[in-house]
Amino acid sequence: MTSHDIVAALVVCQLAAPAATLVLVGLPALAGRALSEQATARIVGAGFAAGFLAALSVLGLLATRGFTPEIVHSGTWFAVGHHEATVNLVADALSVPYVCFSTGLCWLVNSFAGKYLHREPGFTRFFILLALFGTGMNLMVLSDSIDVLFAGWEFVGISSALLIGFFFERRNAIAAALRAYTTYRICDVGLLAAGVLIHRAVGAGDFERLFGAQWPHSTCLVSAGTATAVSLLLVFAALGKTAQVPFSGWLPKAMEGPTPSSAIFYGALSIHAGAYVLLRCEALLDAAPLARAALVVIGVGSALHASLVGRVQTDLKSMLAYASMTQASLILVEIGLGWRVIPLVHVVGHAILRSLQILRSPSALHDRHELEAALGGHPDLGSWSPLSWLPARAQAAVYRIALERGFEEMAVTRGVVGPALRLLERMAAAERAWVAWLGERPGRQEGSRS
Amino acid sequence: MESTARLDEIRRAVEHAAHHLPAQGPIDVFIHHNTLHAFEAEPFEEAVVRAGRLLGTEPFLPESRYREELARGRIREADVEAVLAADMSCPAETAVAGGRVLLRDLYRALLLHAVREESDASVRWTLTESDVVERLRPDLPAAVHRRLMAASPADGPADERSVSSDLWHACVEAVAVMRSTVTRAATPVRHRDLLLAVDPTLDTDALVHPFLIRVCAAFLDQGVATWAMPGRERGLWPAVAELYAGRLGPREPWSKRLPAALRAAAGLPAHEYVARELDHLGVPPEHREAFITQSLLALRGWAGMIRQFEERPDRAPVAAVPARLMDFLALRLVCDRVAVEWAARHAGLRGPAANGTLAGLWWELRDRHPPRPTTGSVCRAFRLHQVAQLVGLTSHDIRALDENELLRLEHAIAGFDATTRRRLFHLAYERRHRIEILDALEAHAAVARPPAGPPPDAQWIFCIDERCESFRRHVEELGDGHETLGTAGFFAVPMYYRGLDDWHAAPLCPIVMRPSRTVVEVPRDEAVSRHEFRRSLRRRYGQLAGSLSAGSRTLFRGGLFTPIVGALAAIPLVARVAFPRLAARIGRTAAALAGRRIPTRLDLERSSEPGLVAGTLSGFDVDEMAGMVRRVLEDTGLTARLSRVVAVIGHGSSSRNNPHESAYDCGACGGGRGGPNARAFALMANDPRVRARLAVDGLVIRPTTWFLGGMLDTCATTLTWYDTDTVPAEHRAAVDEVRAAAERVAAADAQERCRRFETARLDITPAAARAHVEARSVDLAQVRPELGHATNAVCVVGRRWRTRGLFLDRRAFLVSYDPTTDEDGAILTRTLAAVGPVGAGINLEYYFSVIDRLGYGSGTKLPHNITGLIGVMDGHASDLRTGLPWQMVEIHEPVRLLVVIDASPERILAAAARVPAVERMVVNRWIQLVAWDPDGAGLHVFEAGRFVPYQGERRIQPVVERSIDWYRGHREHLPPARILAALGDHAREVRA
Repeated sequence: MTSHDIVAALVVCQLAAPAATLVLVGLPALAGRALSEQATARIVGAGFAAGFLAALSVLGLLATRGFTPEIVHSGTWFAVGHHEATVNLVADALSVPYVCFSTGLCWLVNSFAGKYLHREPGFTRFFILLALFGTGMNLMVLSDSIDVLFAGWEFVGISSALLIGFFFERRNAIAAALRAYTTYRICDVGLLAAGVLIHRAVGAGDFERLFGAQWPHSTCLVSAGTATAVSLLLVFAALGKTAQVPFSGWLPKAMEGPTPSSAIFYGALSIHAGAYVLLRCEALLDAAPLARAALVVIGVGSALHASLVGRVQTDLKSMLAYASMTQASLILVEIGLGWRVIPLVHVVGHAILRSLQILRSPSALHDRHELEAALGGHPDLGSWSPLSWLPARAQAAVYRIALERGFEEMAVTRGVVGPALRLLERMAAAERAWVAWLGERPGRQEGSRS
Repeated sequence: MESTARLDEIRRAVEHAAHHLPAQGPIDVFIHHNTLHAFEAEPFEEAVVRAGRLLGTEPFLPESRYREELARGRIREADVEAVLAADMSCPAETAVAGGRVLLRDLYRALLLHAVREESDASVRWTLTESDVVERLRPDLPAAVHRRLMAASPADGPADERSVSSDLWHACVEAVAVMRSTVTRAATPVRHRDLLLAVDPTLDTDALVHPFLIRVCAAFLDQGVATWAMPGRERGLWPAVAELYAGRLGPREPWSKRLPAALRAAAGLPAHEYVARELDHLGVPPEHREAFITQSLLALRGWAGMIRQFEERPDRAPVAAVPARLMDFLALRLVCDRVAVEWAARHAGLRGPAANGTLAGLWWELRDRHPPRPTTGSVCRAFRLHQVAQLVGLTSHDIRALDENELLRLEHAIAGFDATTRRRLFHLAYERRHRIEILDALEAHAAVARPPAGPPPDAQWIFCIDERCESFRRHVEELGDGHETLGTAGFFAVPMYYRGLDDWHAAPLCPIVMRPSRTVVEVPRDEAVSRHEFRRSLRRRYGQLAGSLSAGSRTLFRGGLFTPIVGALAAIPLVARVAFPRLAARIGRTAAALAGRRIPTRLDLERSSEPGLVAGTLSGFDVDEMAGMVRRVLEDTGLTARLSRVVAVIGHGSSSRNNPHESAYDCGACGGGRGGPNARAFALMANDPRVRARLAVDGLVIRPTTWFLGGMLDTCATTLTWYDTDTVPAEHRAAVDEVRAAAERVAAADAQERCRRFETARLDITPAAARAHVEARSVDLAQVRPELGHATNAVCVVGRRWRTRGLFLDRRAFLVSYDPTTDEDGAILTRTLAAVGPVGAGINLEYYFSVIDRLGYGSGTKLPHNITGLIGVMDGHASDLRTGLPWQMVEIHEPVRLLVVIDASPERILAAAARVPAVERMVVNRWIQLVAWDPDGAGLHVFEAGRFVPYQGERRIQPVVERSIDWYRGHREHLPPARILAALGDHAREVRA
C-alpha cells in the first residue's frame, strides 16, 4: 500500500464516516424504529470522531511532505456527451486543516446537542440533519471539482434550512427557514452558472484544469475573461451563505432553530462556506481584479451595515448574528485584498469564538451579573462611535435606520418579493380563468357531473 | 379635547385589562406566583374555564391524558363515581330518556368510555370505511351487553350485527324527527380577528407584531444593545411616535400610512390618542372594554412587561424607563388601524367611511362572521348510537321516545361537553392523589410518637421547600439523634443583603415584604488588604473580559481581535462542552488560587450610618435580633429541648446557561439564595446579648447549644457552612459531627434525586450520584440542571414527628408548627400568611405551566433567546414568553396544593379568616385544605364551604427499612411509604 493509497483511504474515510452515520441513524428512523437517544448521539458522534481522526492523520502525513496536494480520483459521477462530472477529492494545505477544524467542531456540537436535545421530539431528526451537514461540509471542503463542491454546498444549504425550521409547529420558524432557503437558492444560481462556465471553458469541472501549483500559491490556467466571469459568479454565490447585503435579512431570523445548530451554522461553518469556496478558487480571483474589487466593496458595505445594525439589537441571538455578519464580511474583504492565510486564520478564530458565544448565549444574565460584580456597577457598554458627533435629529434618523435593519428587508420585500408574488398570483389567476373556460365548454358538463 | 369622563372610562378599562396580563417581572429575579392571580376571587373550576375563554388557553389537561390516567389506574372508577356524586349539576334522581336512564349513569358512561366527537365528514368516512355500526362497542359492561342482545329484533337472529344495525336505524330515525339546534359562536371584537375569520390569509397581527416587538424591546432594553433608543426617557409613545413620524426610507406595504398617522398624533398624550383612535376604529361603546382587553392580550408578554416596569420601577435591572401601558395601547391601536385599513383595501372590503372611521367595516365584518358550524345529522345519529349502547338503550327504547324526550336526551349528552368532562376528570385525578396522601397520614398516626427524653444530638432547620423533604428524611434516617424542622427559608430575617462580591444589595425576603434593614458582608480584618488587592484584580479582569466580549462583536476591535486571539476560545469551548465538570473544577481552583476564599463576617450590628439601600437602616439592634430568633423558634415549636448543635440551612440553586436560574432559588427569599439569612440567623442566635434578652422573656437557650448557619445548593447538592472557624472549642466536635453527617446525607439525597433523571442510571451509587448532579449544575448543554419544584403537591403544616418516617417523595412542603404552644392561633395565622401565598404561588404556577405549556408556560427552552436582559423570546422575534419552560415542569402532576394543617377546623378557619389572601384561596378552592386533628388521627377535608370528616379507603401502607428500598429502580411518582429507619428506636416496636 503506497502512501497515496493510505491518504486516499483516509480522505474517503473523512467523507464516508459521517455519511455512514446518516444511513445508520436515518434508515431505522425511516422504518419508524428510531434508535434510542444515546445510540443516535453516539453513532453520529463516532462518525465525526472518525472523520476528525482521519483528517488529523492526513494532516500529519501531508506535513511530512511539505503539503504536496494529493488528489483522489473516485470515479465519474455522470457524463453527458464529452462532458463528465468526476468525483475528485483533494487533500492539500487548505482542505485538510479545514476538515480537521470543521469536523472537530461538529463533533463538539454533537456532544453538546446529545444533552441539550434530550427528550425533544425532533431528537433523531436533529442528528440526521447534523450528519447530513457534516457530510456536505466535508464534501465541499475536500472537493477537487466544481460538481462535487456544488453537491456539498447544497447539502449544507438544505440541512441549514431544515434546522432553522426545526420547530415546524411555529409559524416564525417556517417562515425563517423558507426565507433562508430562498436566499440560498437564488445565490446557488451563481455557483451553478460558474460550474457550467467552467465546464464550457475547460471541458470538465476539475479544479486541476483551472489552476496549477499548490495552495496558497496556485496559478490560474484559464483566460482572464473566463476567470473574471467565473469569479464574479462565485462571489454572487458566496453572498447568500455569508449573508452579505442585500442578502443578509435571513441571518438574524435563522436563529429560530435550537441553539447548537445556530452555533455551528451561523457562528461557525455555514456562514464561512462562501469564504472557503473563494479561498479554494483564489487563483481565479487573482486573475480577476474586477471580482476582487466587487468583493471588497460588498464586504465593506456589509461590514458597516452589520456593525451599525448590530449596535441596536436587543436580543442576544440577533446581536450575535450581526456580529457574525460583521466578521464574515471582513473575511470577504481580506480575500478580496488578495490575502490567503489571514482570512483562513480569521475564519478559524471567528468560528471558534462565535460558536462558543452562541452556545453560551443563555448565560447572558449570569455573565452580566458576574461582570457587574467584578466592575462594582453596571458596565458602560456604549463604546465611542463617530455617530456621537451627529446632531440629535440625525442620530435619531440613523437609529431608526439601524432598528429597521437598514430597510434591507423592506426593500427586498417591495422590490423583489412583492413583484414576484404578484406575477405568480397573476399566473394563478390566468390558470384559473383558463380552467374555468375549459370547464364551461359545452359537452364537458356531462363528464364533470358524473 | 375629549371629555374627562370618557378619558376616565378608558383609564379604568386599561387598568382592568392590565390585571389579565402576565405579572412576571424581569427574569433575573424570578418570583413564582399564581398565573391566574387576577381570577382568585372566583371559584377555581369556574375561573380556569373563564380565563381559558378570555386568554385562549386550556383549563385542564387534554381529555386523552385523563383517559390514559384512567387506563393505568391513576384515576379509578371509584374516583369518577365520587366526583359525580358530589357534583351539583347532576342530582341523583334526575332521569332522561323517558325515565329509562339516570342522568348520573349517563354521565358516568360518558366519562368511563370515550365517545368520539368528530365532524360530519369524518363520521361519514368512518361509516363507509368501517363496520362500526354493525357491531357493538367492545368496551360495554357485560350486563349492558346482555341487555342489548336480549332486545334483538324479533324477526331476526340475535346476533350482534343485527342488534347494532337495528339500533343504528332507530337512531337515524330519531334524529330525523328532532329539530336541530343552532348555536352561535361568540363574535370577536377586534378587527384583526374579524378579518381573519373572513380571510384566513390576512392576519394583521402578523404584520404589526414584528414592529411592536422591535420597538418594545428597544424601549425596555437593559443593556444588550450598545445604543439605546433615543428619547426613551420620555416614554414609549412619544419616543416611537417621533422616531417613526419621519418620511425617510421605504416601508412595508401595510405601514405606508403610519408616518402620516403618527404625525397627526404629534403632541397628543397617549390616553387622548387612545380615545380618538377608538372612535376612529369604530368600535361601539359597549364593546370597548373587551376591545381594549383583547388588544392588550394579543401581545400579552410585552404588554405585561411594560406594565411591570410601570408598577415596579424599582425592580428594573438597570434602567427604570418610564413605561406606561397606555403608551403601548396608543401605539398598538395606531398600528392596528393602519394595518386594518390596508388589509381592508387589499381584501376589497369597505374602507374608511367619509368621516374617516372604520365603523362601517367593523359592522360589515361582524355581519360576515361565519356562525359556528352546527352538528350534522349523521354526527348526531352516530353519537346517539354510541351513547345508547353505553347506557343500555335498545332500539325499542329509542323508538319509544317522543321528540321532547329525544331532545332532552340529546341535550343532556351535548351539555356534558368536553370541558365538563375534563373538569370532572380533573377532580377525580386530584381525589386519587388526596386519598393516597391522607390515607397515609391517617395510618401513620398509629406509629408516630412525639419525641421524649433528652434533646437529640442535632436539630436541623430547613426551608419549607419540598426539595428539602428528601434531605430531611435522610437526616432522620441517621437515627433518633437527629431531628429536622422547617420554616420559611428567610428565617424571619428580612434584609437587603450585599455579599462580598456583589455590587449592590438585593432583598432577601418574601416578595410581599419590603426590608427596612441592610446587611453587608465584609472581609475579616486580617483579610482586608488581600480583599482590596483581589478586588482591583477582579475589576481589571472584568474590564478586560467586558471589553473583549463587547469588542468581539464590533467592527474594528472585533476585526483585529478575532483572528489574533479567537482560536484561543477553543480551550474554553472544548473544556466546557466535552469536560464540563473538570472545567468547572479548574475554574474554581484558579479562582481559589487568585484568593477567592477571603474570610468574611456579616456586619449585623446596627450602626449610626444609614443603610446602603436608601431608606433603610444598617444592621439590627439586639431587640430586633431577639425578636427574629424568637419568631423562628416559636414558629417551629423549638422553644425547649434544644440540641448541642442547631443547623440552620437556607437554600439556593446554581446552574449554567439557564435564563430561568432564579426560578430555582428560594421563594421565601424572593427568588434569591437563603444562605445569608441562615448565616445571619445563626449569628444572632449565638449572640450572648440576644440570648440574655430572650431569657428575660422566658426563652432559654443554654450555652451548650450552638447554631450553625449553612446553605444547600439544591442543584449540585453541595453544602456550604458559614463561620465554622469561629466555633468555640467546646462546640467544635459536635459541629464537625454534624458536618460529616451532612456530607453522607448529601450523597444519599443526590442518589434519590438521580432517580428522576433519565440520563442517570437507576442503580447509581451515592458517590456517582453526587458527581452526576454536580456535573449537571455546571454543564452548558444541560437544560434540566435540576427539576425545581416539579411534582410539588402537598403542604403539611404541623409537628414533624407526626410525619417523620413517611416517604413523601420530595413532593411536600413541610412547615413546622406546634399547635400545643399556639394558644390563641396567632402563630398559625402568621405561618399561613407567610407560607400560604408562597406555596400556593409555586404550586399554581407549575399547575398552569403544565396545563397549557404554550399558553401559560413558556414552551420548550431550546429556541429561547434572551432579550433585553428582561425575558426570553422564542427565536428572533416573538412575544415575551412568561411562565415556566417545559423542561422545568414536564414531570409535574398538576394538582392543587393539598394543605394539611395540624390544628382543629375551627382554629384553621379562624386563622385563615385573618389573612384575606389565604381565605380567598381556601374558599374559592385554589388550594385544598385539610384539618388534621392535633389530638387524634382524624382528618377533615374542606369541601363546599365547610370541613367534613374524611372517609378514606384505609388501605394498608407499604413499609420499608430505608428510603432507598422504596425508590430504587423507579422513576415515576411513588406513593407514601413508611420508612422504619427514620422512626429511630421506636421502629423496633413497629417492627415487632
